[in-house]
Amino acid sequence: MSVRIALDIAGLRVRAACGGIATCGACTIQTVKGEFSSFTLSEYQKISAEDRDLGIRLACQLYLHSNAEVFVENPAPESNWKSLDLSTWPAYQYPKPDLNKCPYAVAVDLGTTHIRLSFWDRQQQTRIASRHGNNPQVALGEDVLTRLDVQQKRSEDLQSLTEIVRHAIIEGIRDILARDIGEIKSILDKVGLVNIVGNTAMLALVSGQDGSQLYQPENWENHIPCLPTDLSSWQQSWRMPNAEISVQPALAGFLGSDILADLIAIDIVQHSEPVMMADFGTNTEIALWDGKQLLLTSVPGGPAFEGVGLQNGLCAEEGAIRGVSLGDNSFVLDVIAEQTAKGFCASGFVDAIALLRTNGEIKLSGRFLHPSPDGYLLDKSNPLTAVKAGDIDAFQRAKAATAAAMQQLLELASINLDELSELWICGAFGQHLNLQNAQVSGLIPTMERSKIKLFGNAALSGCEKMLLAPDSEKITEKYRGLIRVVNLSNYTEYDESFINHLRLQPFVRDE
Amino acid sequence: MFDAYIKDYNEAVFEIDKDAALEVVETAIQQGVTPEQVIFNIIIPSIEEMMAEIVENADTNLAQHFLTAQIASEITEKMLAKFTVPPEVIGRVIIGTAYGDLHSLGKRIVIGCLKSMMIDVIDLGVNIKAEDFVDAAVAQDAQVIAISSMMVHTATGEDGSLRVRSILKERDLENQIKLVVGGAPYRFDPELYSKVGADSWAADGVTASKKIKQLILEVKA
Repeated sequence: MSVRIALDIAGLRVRAACGGIATCGACTIQTVKGEFSSFTLSEYQKISAEDRDLGIRLACQLYLHSNAEVFVENPAPESNWKSLDLSTWPAYQYPKPDLNKCPYAVAVDLGTTHIRLSFWDRQQQTRIASRHGNNPQVALGEDVLTRLDVQQKRSEDLQSLTEIVRHAIIEGIRDILARDIGEIKSILDKVGLVNIVGNTAMLALVSGQDGSQLYQPENWENHIPCLPTDLSSWQQSWRMPNAEISVQPALAGFLGSDILADLIAIDIVQHSEPVMMADFGTNTEIALWDGKQLLLTSVPGGPAFEGVGLQNGLCAEEGAIRGVSLGDNSFVLDVIAEQTAKGFCASGFVDAIALLRTNGEIKLSGRFLHPSPDGYLLDKSNPLTAVKAGDIDAFQRAKAATAAAMQQLLELASINLDELSELWICGAFGQHLNLQNAQVSGLIPTMERSKIKLFGNAALSGCEKMLLAPDSEKITEKYRGLIRVVNLSNYTEYDESFINHLRLQPFVRDE
Repeated sequence: MFDAYIKDYNEAVFEIDKDAALEVVETAIQQGVTPEQVIFNIIIPSIEEMMAEIVENADTNLAQHFLTAQIASEITEKMLAKFTVPPEVIGRVIIGTAYGDLHSLGKRIVIGCLKSMMIDVIDLGVNIKAEDFVDAAVAQDAQVIAISSMMVHTATGEDGSLRVRSILKERDLENQIKLVVGGAPYRFDPELYSKVGADSWAADGVTASKKIKQLILEVKA
């Protein structure tokens, strides 16, 4: 990938206005040391000889041939948006449709904490660019219900909440148009379809509903329509007069259409052997395909799986401990951007628990061998590296809820853990997980590594498939028909199983 | 004479080692302790000690709470089966979660504690309508209805405790059936219970059992 694309993913963005075809000349960058690709013709046209001698290049034309150092003197203003690294995704194999008038389309995965989106030319079947950014609604509360509560308390603010999230989405789209195409208005005119998946609360908000449906017990196991009531003013506010804005309905009270997208992304019903899927987060969703039906449920993950909810928790940001390993006499902390550790993100915390459990500092019950109000400091000189008792507790409850749910679905389908051909871990949380460590504490079941598949951004991929597949409606209908929503509160043995899984030990067959 | 047993038993339960806890109890019985004494002189004091530690500890460990209540409840059941005379039941409680609320685990802890205190519990489960609470209490001759809510809207909503109170009033049952509530929202606002029409509330399982016992005795007096 070009230096520009790499920087877009990293978040230190060069200025850009043409989509990386060297016509705008805005993405100048200075090479400091290392081996680089040669100057291109466009660079000769855009950069003076004097500047070329100083090592000034166009980042969109520049490729690295070794580790290198570059200097961005004039970066783009800080932005909520970064590019997603989708370079490993295989291309979809769909026929090219005939869409001359409005070839552009947008896929949106609207999450509780993040928004992910990609911009497509459906005519050419090419992804022009992708983005992810924070969902500005995070400010209103860390979990979905808090936000719904806020919303219920101030129903007069509903409209503005809806505006906040819609505004965030269009900002992401405009960021792509400005940087990756170089035109905005004329392109917005030609957007024919926006497909939005998300969790139930976000779907309710973005479509301008108050979310009160989620509180109704009769909706917990049923599909929830999320039809926007003000489509034309929505189109207007986005300046997309020709766009069909499609909000994919939630599957049930706590199962959003993001999970439907996950399942479509991994083609789960195409498998001939049993497959399980888990998407960890504030709510953790679990699916089991047994060849005939798709059992689906949701359990509270709480903030433990988001990092931010721990006492010493962070998002995956600079200073976050993303991994822990054992050195000779101490713990080795892998800190993002190699800074002084400021706390744990989820993957680092999972590692810490596994290592402390293995060396006996944390007992089976989750208690410390030597309890201390300060917790256990991985780096004795840095209190922000402390694993706190309360955080272990939150983790235990989250992982027990997940494991017990997996076990319940397996029992309902009369399938043993070792009969699973694959376990898919979708969502951001799984991507950076040390799977062996995750198995030590029973966060994920003990099974061969080759059976475990990681798929970050799966919901966006499923959303893209809905956007591009010619028989997309048929596919979603098929999935909706095969899905059986399991309400775990109907099963008394779930409680028992939850309590058993609180122990910090591997999750093995027939525990 | 029970202190040593309590200490060993507590250690086992704290380490959530059910087998070791059972072994302590079995040893006690072999050494002449009666099943009644096991419950009243070992298990109940031990639960109280544990709850005290859990409550006092700033890093409240809910996982520990669930695990210990589960073990205590199982052992109590085992001991009850060994009682020479059927245990004298103090009274009866109808318990369930509020309509619209599926969170069953808090209720579970309370059930374990109530059983250990010789209070009969009928668990209606989760998502229970107000009418069903009252109908069950009347049919089963219970003195107390206990409603668990883990979400603010199920604690304060029209279909929960408030509705039970108004039915009790309508049917003139307020003197013979008391209403108690519990769950996270009540911990945040200790006055909330009275705003939703309840007679009492408690922050943990042991306190809940004690308050319920007191209410049962008041009704029966």
